Amino acid sequence: MSGQDQIDATLRALGHNNLPPPPLSAELEAELATIKPVKARRPLLRFALHCLVSIGYGAAILWLLKLRPDLGRLPTVWILVYCAAWLSGFLVLGWFALVPGRGNVMPNWRYAGIGAVFTAGGFIVAGLIFDRNVPNVSHLCNADAVELVAHGTVCLKWGLITATVPVLVGMLLIRGSIPVGSRWVGAALGAGGGSLGGLMLHLHCHNADPLHMGFVHGGVVVVAALLGALIIPRFTDV
Amino acid sequence: MGRYCNGEAGAFHQLYRLVAPKLLSYLLRMTRDYALAEDLLQLTFLKIHRARGAYVRGAEPLPWMYAIAHRTFLDEARKRKRSKVQLSRESSGLPEQHAHISGQAADQVTDTDDNSELTKAALAALDRLPAKQREAVVLTKLDGKSIAEAAAITGTTPGAMKVRAHRGYVALRKALASVEVP
Repeated sequence: MSGQDQIDATLRALGHNNLPPPPLSAELEAELATIKPVKARRPLLRFALHCLVSIGYGAAILWLLKLRPDLGRLPTVWILVYCAAWLSGFLVLGWFALVPGRGNVMPNWRYAGIGAVFTAGGFIVAGLIFDRNVPNVSHLCNADAVELVAHGTVCLKWGLITATVPVLVGMLLIRGSIPVGSRWVGAALGAGGGSLGGLMLHLHCHNADPLHMGFVHGGVVVVAALLGALIIPRFTDV
Repeated sequence: MGRYCNGEAGAFHQLYRLVAPKLLSYLLRMTRDYALAEDLLQLTFLKIHRARGAYVRGAEPLPWMYAIAHRTFLDEARKRKRSKVQLSRESSGLPEQHAHISGQAADQVTDTDDNSELTKAALAALDRLPAKQREAVVLTKLDGKSIAEAAAITGTTPGAMKVRAHRGYVALRKALASVEVP
């Protein structure tokens, strides 16, 4: 046996050392004495509930704020593709955050994190590049910083208000169940909620300025993701 | 795990007998203190018990349990790091008693089959590794977890886990190269 093989064998032997488990603590014994059946988590059902409540809430906000006046005159394909992208962002990130891979208990926080980063960056870039407007109907800020900030603040507020319920519902559905990677899962839930906020803004806000669409509509995803990453782990850690 | 979720305390005991030795062994290698490892094991199972509703039927519970044990260890390590600063003036200055894998104090272990010079040196070298490399070596080389499983347990990427395991293993080999193999 070579030296390396011997080291490998020694390490493996250390790993096979089965220690006798200590007796249970009094606290655990007491909890076991009054053990009750619990409903195990059903991720698909929870994901469906998350989607239903969040989309319903987003639709209610849109109904409250009204559709954008230039909606009927903008290119239909552009409107639909953008809507599909925002909705996909919400659904995919929600899936990553709430539904573990087959045979796993924990969600795949890596995919959730990567998804959150790409979604946030993607919507900012898309807003800056793929802008469309209807002359005299859509609003353009024409690089007026004051106007950009004023419109931006309103849209950011409504985008984040729309993101609140998806984030809260998602957080409730995975509370106390994620031992590692909860910050990334939180970012994904936040970014998913932000995507729903972006979808609502896309259908409501007639400000077609590329800077507004990129940095404000896309910015909702970034801010929601950051807030999610900061707040959600406090409630989801085991 | 399914029967345990259904409220069968007996199923918990069965699960405990099956899983506790593995988790205790992992925690012992990470803490190097048997009493602390036992405490963390109890805390880990308490957390598992309270979070049992998060279990997904049909899923493999062991990586999740390992991840909870890992999280419990990290929380304790952070707590100790913070209290070390506060309590350092009142510290007795006694060195921490290192534990052998069997749970006895390292210097009280007698010569047995599994306690050859190489084993002793391996344990000492493992102790000297930085925490992240030690955790990577323990999970991949000692516990036989795949890189992906170890990464999922510790909340890191497979790439980072691979690098840590490799660096830890190289350091171990270097440390053990001087030990004479009978």
